[in-house]
Amino acid sequence: MAPKKSSRPVHLLGGFQTDFARNWSKESKHLVALVREAVLGALEATRIEPGEVEVGHVGNFAAELYCMQGHTGALIVDVDPAFSGLPTIRHEAACASGSLAALAAAADIEAGRYDLALVLGVEMMKTVDSKKGGDFLGTAAWYDREAKGIEFPFPKLFGKLGDEYDKRYGLKDEHLARISAVNYANAKLNPNAQTRSWFMNYDHACSTGPFNAHIGGRIKLTDCSQVTDGAACVLLASAEFAAKWAARNGKQLASVPRILGWGHATAPMEFTKKVEESKGDRYVLPQTRKAILDAFARAGLPGVEAIDCIETHDCFTTSEYMAIDHFGLTAPGESWKAVEEGVIEIGGRCPINPSGGLIGAGHPVGATGTRQLLDAYLQVVGAAGDYQVAKARRAATLNIGGSGTTSVVHVVGFD
Amino acid sequence: MQPIKNVVVLGANGTMGSGAAGLFAASGYDVVMLARGIDKAHQGLARAKEAVRSDVLGKRIRCGSYEQDLEREVAAADLIFEAVSEDMAIKGPFLERIDRARRKGSVVATVSSGLSIAKMVEGRSTDFRRHFVGMHLFNPPHVIVGTEMIPGPDTDRELFSGLVAMLEKRLGRIVIECADQPAFAGNRVGFKVLNECAQLAEHHGVELVDYLVGPYTGRALAPLATIDLVGWDVHHAIVENVHANTKDEAHAAFAMPAYMARLMDDGHLGNKTPGEGGFYRRMTDANGAKFKSVLDAKTCGYSEGPGARLKLAFVEEIKALHASGRYAEAMAKFLVAEGPEADLARKVILGYVSYGLHRVGPGEVVPTPAGVDRIMGYGFNWAPPTVLVDLWGKRQTLAALERAGLPVPRVLSALKDGERLSTIPKATIGRFFFGK
Repeated sequence: MAPKKSSRPVHLLGGFQTDFARNWSKESKHLVALVREAVLGALEATRIEPGEVEVGHVGNFAAELYCMQGHTGALIVDVDPAFSGLPTIRHEAACASGSLAALAAAADIEAGRYDLALVLGVEMMKTVDSKKGGDFLGTAAWYDREAKGIEFPFPKLFGKLGDEYDKRYGLKDEHLARISAVNYANAKLNPNAQTRSWFMNYDHACSTGPFNAHIGGRIKLTDCSQVTDGAACVLLASAEFAAKWAARNGKQLASVPRILGWGHATAPMEFTKKVEESKGDRYVLPQTRKAILDAFARAGLPGVEAIDCIETHDCFTTSEYMAIDHFGLTAPGESWKAVEEGVIEIGGRCPINPSGGLIGAGHPVGATGTRQLLDAYLQVVGAAGDYQVAKARRAATLNIGGSGTTSVVHVVGFD
Repeated sequence: MQPIKNVVVLGANGTMGSGAAGLFAASGYDVVMLARGIDKAHQGLARAKEAVRSDVLGKRIRCGSYEQDLEREVAAADLIFEAVSEDMAIKGPFLERIDRARRKGSVVATVSSGLSIAKMVEGRSTDFRRHFVGMHLFNPPHVIVGTEMIPGPDTDRELFSGLVAMLEKRLGRIVIECADQPAFAGNRVGFKVLNECAQLAEHHGVELVDYLVGPYTGRALAPLATIDLVGWDVHHAIVENVHANTKDEAHAAFAMPAYMARLMDDGHLGNKTPGEGGFYRRMTDANGAKFKSVLDAKTCGYSEGPGARLKLAFVEEIKALHASGRYAEAMAKFLVAEGPEADLARKVILGYVSYGLHRVGPGEVVPTPAGVDRIMGYGFNWAPPTVLVDLWGKRQTLAALERAGLPVPRVLSALKDGERLSTIPKATIGRFFFGK
């Protein structure tokens, strides 16, 4: 059955990302400070008054665990007196929480309920040490079966994704190292990237030792995304609001990008079940592939050849390796070709993660989906600064919760 | 400018030398680390690897000694980075050797944090003088990106601009250009505040001064704890240099207190002398619990137990506002809080604003407020004076300076109503304020 598409367009007006290198615990800040800075930054960047916002959608994974703070949707109201009375909703799908918030906000606009929605993704993770944080992240898997009592469960699960590729098609660690090096190199161009001042190169990613130890299976430290405090906020609008907004800012409505298409699919929670389900399939994670195809279909695009750059979910190098063939940049199992040919680098045919992605830019879990959308926006309006992809008109995002469990894809740009 | 591919670092066993060598190597340059002996250079290399957390860094770095390798390596280098001890008597002979050994067109940079660049090129060759700059990185350079660049009297402007671009693009630095004045911009403004706090500690106590000028006023670390961290000897060298070689409106603030000189004679240099300590001394009680004993600046003795935990209502209220991201409200409260403690805190912070902005303009240290902005924000990690002015607004700042009896800088009186002074985006200033 072809995916359904609303006839009401959803425009993306821009937004704001906090500096992912900051440690908000060291600054002795409450989660609400992170919410405030992202929301106020987005309002300033888009020149929107708080009173104009009609609904707030918040993506957050686990503030209850990291910060002893639930009810995170309501924290928006603290930002400005004009927000008192605003309907707010919190969404959770592990690392895909930020994209779920965007999906729900877009659905509000498509349904004609509201004309202007604020979408915030937020996570504060440096409140605990890495082992405890790793345990919290384990709740994004089937905790009792896949994470309980296991140190750093997620590197192990995504190590298994690499192993599955190895079994079906063969996988060389040097290609994973190249993916890591490209993400870190891109992050150096991004003034908000967590690792922008860190040392990293391909040789280091290939090395093994105390500075690059194995964390889980074949996954080494340089294959991992970061533990990050951060938030990103974007504003979505109906055509009616976007037209008014464009006029008052001296723009044409045609220059305001839209969410052209979206895909959303959920696979079985346990990784072994995902693998069982995909036996005989050319794609290791067929539900992720489905989300990508649905987004292309809704956008009316033939395939990845119509996309100028991608912000994908590289929680580990293996997840980006998976994204390359699942997007269709290569045949299944041949992602290594795109890595070797430089397709994924800035200046390549379809740059992946010009921002640095989760490995280079950082991965505040609940904020990642909104950060990806913001970066897609910056690319298609030509405002990405040093990490701008030349002449980008359409950008895709892939945001994944769990071990490939929830997949959300957006295509942003112009027809 | 000739392309730079390889760098020689002198003083490579020191904190700054090893940090800079690691930074250059991590940015893709081939580096030679030179020290008094090759074993010392290897110690520096180990420290550089530890700082950037990579063994492969060693592939880009070779080690050598002054005696065996200096002339040959300097002759082959595109950039010679001098990071020997901060003492003109030690630097002079090294600069002379470099001048004799280098090939024409190679760049020579000193990492000095405030000695005269003009003096360093006295007696040097014309080509040396044209290719010499001050390149002041802040410690540790792989973490702190603020960098001061200081031209000498004959530095080639095109070369200077090329080096600034290289630092910004390849080494990820945030660069400001400073005039060749004692301590340049960051240390001149920063150590004025630190030394003033050391002076105030004699009458008001170490704990109260660090509490009143603590992180809630826009810094990661309280001022006297900062002096302990950088070392009393370094502090002494900087304030003495400024006191001896400048005459500005806050000259007396650079006189190091006599109690510090007495304690330094007894070996108290801060954290680097844990046995003696500085303003604080780490101790262990009879039960094995660790605590920080506090200096009594009047008696030069240390407290038996940990220092008192101070709590003043206005300070705690401001901290709570910062913790919830309400920075403007917090600093507005700072301006109107009542009582002698609030007056004392304002004397230091408004003094910082006044002094920092006085260093802007013709004949001063930096040409525009952006210079003070960037170096205090990204070199010291302090809320820059401009950010504080923007939070308060021109009128409130002028009134507060007047109440505190502090001179008004020209850039502030010339500011138009509603105009922002800082170049740092408003949405990002939260990083400077702490809820503790």
